[in-house]
Amino acid sequence: MNVRKKSTAVTAAGVLLVASLALAACGGNSNNGGNAAGSASAGGASSPAASKPAGGDPKKNVTISYTIWDKNQQPAMEAIAKAFTDQNPNIKVKIDVIPWGDYWTKMSAAAPSGTLPDVFWMHGGQFIKYATGKFIEPITDKVTAGEIDLGNYASNLGSIYTLDGENYGIPKDFDTIGLAYNKELFDTAGVPYPDDTWDYAKLAEVAKQLSQPDKGIYGFGAKLDTQAGYWNDILANGGHILNDDMTKSGYDEPATIEALKARYQLIVDKASPTHQQMTDTDAVEMFKSGKLAMIFDGSWDNGNLASSDIIKGKYDWAPLPKGKVMRGNIINGLGNVMSSKGKHKEESWQFLKFLGSKEAAEITAQMGAAIPAFTGTQDAWVKSQPDLNLQVFIDQAADAVPYPSGSKSYPVWFAKEAEIMSQAWGGAISVEEGAKKVAEMMNQAIADAK
Amino acid sequence: MIAPTLIGTLVFWFWPAIYSIYLGFLKSENFGLDNRWVGLANYERLFKDGEFWQNLRNTMLYVALFVPTTIVLSTFFAVMLNAKIKGRSAYRVIYFLPQVTMAAAAAMVWVIIFAQDYGLLNSVLGTHIAWISDKRFAMYALVMVGVWAAIGFNMLLILAGLQSIPRPLYEAAELDGAVGIRKFRWITLPLLTPTLFFTSIVLVIGATQIFDSIYLIIGKTNVALPAVRSLVYAYYQNSFIYYDQNYGAAIVNILLLINLILTGFQFLMQKKWVVYD
Repeated sequence: MNVRKKSTAVTAAGVLLVASLALAACGGNSNNGGNAAGSASAGGASSPAASKPAGGDPKKNVTISYTIWDKNQQPAMEAIAKAFTDQNPNIKVKIDVIPWGDYWTKMSAAAPSGTLPDVFWMHGGQFIKYATGKFIEPITDKVTAGEIDLGNYASNLGSIYTLDGENYGIPKDFDTIGLAYNKELFDTAGVPYPDDTWDYAKLAEVAKQLSQPDKGIYGFGAKLDTQAGYWNDILANGGHILNDDMTKSGYDEPATIEALKARYQLIVDKASPTHQQMTDTDAVEMFKSGKLAMIFDGSWDNGNLASSDIIKGKYDWAPLPKGKVMRGNIINGLGNVMSSKGKHKEESWQFLKFLGSKEAAEITAQMGAAIPAFTGTQDAWVKSQPDLNLQVFIDQAADAVPYPSGSKSYPVWFAKEAEIMSQAWGGAISVEEGAKKVAEMMNQAIADAK
Repeated sequence: MIAPTLIGTLVFWFWPAIYSIYLGFLKSENFGLDNRWVGLANYERLFKDGEFWQNLRNTMLYVALFVPTTIVLSTFFAVMLNAKIKGRSAYRVIYFLPQVTMAAAAAMVWVIIFAQDYGLLNSVLGTHIAWISDKRFAMYALVMVGVWAAIGFNMLLILAGLQSIPRPLYEAAELDGAVGIRKFRWITLPLLTPTLFFTSIVLVIGATQIFDSIYLIIGKTNVALPAVRSLVYAYYQNSFIYYDQNYGAAIVNILLLINLILTGFQFLMQKKWVVYD
């Protein structure tokens, strides 16, 4: 009896131990969950209380699903959903977040089985697969009927989600890349902050100057990254990711290889953490913990940087440095689309339309979630955090190059690109060899997709 | 009476396995809704793919390192914990804990243990090894995690095996003057062989399917990935990242064949070492 009691106690202790491990693992998320709930209600309160239709509502109550991949934008999306439900009390919106890393895997399983969310975020690179298979609902007749005007969106974003003359998506936001810098590290070293006169040579020079590898502090995070990484370097240096008609890779062009080598050189010069260090701890996380003086990051990630107590109020944004040929920058626009197999298509359309409205754009902007696509609402985003120079993202949009998606082969080569380049970044093969391998792989993927 | 289980097995196990074999002969488009018969084309591509052979070698190396280590250590701990020692049940719970730990949570802890700069392992050993991103060490790191997770359950199986060995045998041996290691060698080990046979079959099949620790600990941008990538990881990459289910299916079909051969071989070999009384 005594023995049994003892073993129960030990088992209980074991269970507690495991539970605490599990809790520790979830700690990060639950924090964000708390933030999300808090800001969501705040956002809801600030949006005008919509007039509720009086009297008995004959419409049946439905709940539609809305799936997104960025948890930093969840509060704003919740606020939009709440504003929508205030105006359409019979339609509730359930928001699910699937992280980017799993998002397209889950969607590609959901698409053929007809279980896509009613409304969800779409990326230009993935769009064609979903449109050709008719997994997402065309909205052309709604556009023709004037229910929505795709001319309302900035920078021609309305045309991204169009295939063979059919419209499928409504622009949500756009993003460009900026140079985030830690003011404190610049001040300590007595170095002036980055500005629009900087070129890549200056970036490298200051990065070296600010690095103190023995203290774990580095000038720049030369991370293995495309959109918020070396694609900008490549464009600035006159190289290409793809040629203009998207039939050939630009990775084996000398200008591309030169740009890649220049970025890798920062690791060699100890002006950046090594690839392995940045695999252990993501470069953005290093920046957030004050270990990096500079990093390229997307406008979509400002909320993430701002969430760090360590660098809050100590960082700001500058434009990307100029290259030999131009100031490189990638602009990408996300869209909202709806499933063609949804059970509540009419309600989903109402929500999709609302997501494309000025009101939704204003909520997105005010809550600082992302740069809304709706013309004239960008200023509200810039002002959402007046102490930060968010204007750089809007200014750079004018000359930015569209994200090189929009081909059937993109999802294949994009996934393989990271794998090959990680061999180069980790030092297993040379950067030149890696770039040439990527070019070969991309050309093969383009040929296979024909 | 067995219908519910049988239906479950057929629908969730047998049908996917058969469908996988079928998929290996197709070229699918449109998320698998349009399929075209291509015969052995996927296998031709597979056999010409150097990466496939590397993945196969990685998988076999993992099996070769993981299975014997797990069996030896599980047996060792089972024998230790079968003895009448103080706090025996506490030890049993401790060794069994990894079994009930969430794999993802454990992986996070292991990543910290293996970290090059501030990792526990390096500070204990006084080394500065990039355990999970140096291709010379990554495989050993994975084996370490695998063995750690597997010892608990296999120890339990072996413990059960130990307890089914009749006491009088030991008493008789003691009368004949057998002690310690000799008792283990001539009584425990032979009578434990049926259990060890079973555990080795299950461990080999499990080890050929290593995936989660590679996914969680190594990660896809790790420079050491090619040195540890298993067949199942390659299957995952091809099927779910590169959207090539057919090539992925070809990979796991080969793995199925390998498992059939390995298991068949083990059954053939059991005559040589397994003692059934």
